[in-house]
Amino acid sequence: MILVISTCKYPLSEEEFVRPIVEIVRDCGFDYHVRRYYERIEIEDYSKVLICGTALRDFDYLNHINNFADLAEYDGNVLGICAGYQILAMLFSNALEEIKKIGVYKVRIVRENPLIKGDEIRAYFLHRYALRSVNEKLIPLAMQDEEICMFKVKGRDFYGVSFHPEVLNREIIVNFLYL
Amino acid sequence: MKVCVLYSGGKDSNLALLKAREEFEVSCLVTLSPRSEESTIFHYPNTELVKLQAESLDIPLIMKTCSDDEKSSLKVLYDALRKAKEFYRVEGVVTGAIRSTYQATRFQRICDDLELWCFNPLWLRDEISILNEALEFGFEIIFVRVAGLDKSMLGKKLTKDIVRKFAERYGYINPAGEGGEYETLVLDMPLFKKKLKISEFEIVGKDYDATLIIKKAELVEK
Repeated sequence: MILVISTCKYPLSEEEFVRPIVEIVRDCGFDYHVRRYYERIEIEDYSKVLICGTALRDFDYLNHINNFADLAEYDGNVLGICAGYQILAMLFSNALEEIKKIGVYKVRIVRENPLIKGDEIRAYFLHRYALRSVNEKLIPLAMQDEEICMFKVKGRDFYGVSFHPEVLNREIIVNFLYL
Repeated sequence: MKVCVLYSGGKDSNLALLKAREEFEVSCLVTLSPRSEESTIFHYPNTELVKLQAESLDIPLIMKTCSDDEKSSLKVLYDALRKAKEFYRVEGVVTGAIRSTYQATRFQRICDDLELWCFNPLWLRDEISILNEALEFGFEIIFVRVAGLDKSMLGKKLTKDIVRKFAERYGYINPAGEGGEYETLVLDMPLFKKKLKISEFEIVGKDYDATLIIKKAELVEK
């Protein structure tokens, strides 16, 4: 069972940021539950967790960041997208910097990984905060200019992507589901 | 939250409006009317009819004319949204963008510059499901421009049968017309208090590149 976590304050944003992820999960034939950032969730019931992004002006999920604390001890796989990337970065004590990026940009893959192959991809970005550097707990996997736009948590199958793979890079989500 | 809807009068912006109304107060519609069909961002034909649609919806309309070049049309959009923010106190913008990152990027940047929320409730939706959902809501939709489809489609109503034919040709055409294959006009939908009736029109253009110019239309009881 896959857990999809919405970080959207407004249901109308879920149409844009959660429904496309759910459709990929459903197309791949997996069962799933959708939960919201302000709910307490028993994550041990799930084999994989997908944390979706939200609107550029939406930071309400930061008021409920403690609801994600259990992820630190979670044994399954996690993919954090945009807001989900930011949550994972903070959970592992990394400081986000203000980097506003809207649109399609080239991304360099800097480390082999099971989610995306090749040296370069085009990806759709929509964020205000991201990472330029990481601590020893995170391994950079891809860069957009000076931004670390994809990382893995050392020793865990936790991944963060600052861009939106559901738009131009669906294979990242599909590969994550089949990890 | 008070929002405005980027409104072309076609099926996508009307479906986006319907979804926006479920959650927010729609304080105004914003329509940009390109001077020609060359616009890469905005819907072209019959934007004048939007005035009738807005009257039927009983929602104020901000309408601006823009040229075809991107820079100036985005400036006009910026000014129109700023007016919506200042005059109608909107905090967000709802669009009918489906798949174009080119269009979405530009809308998102302008909203961000104006400190407005941006909502795209049809984003990445399967195009056939959008057409079917509009029909299930009782939308009455006609084709008003074709570019790649036969001009006999102009003036025809979208039906389940046409949606089925589009689905069979998936890969050759974008079923939602996002590739510019066609543009639509909504004559009726659940929020309209009256429906549009077209009484005079003209078809201009060639076989696979033609526009239905509506010369006379009025609102009638549903």
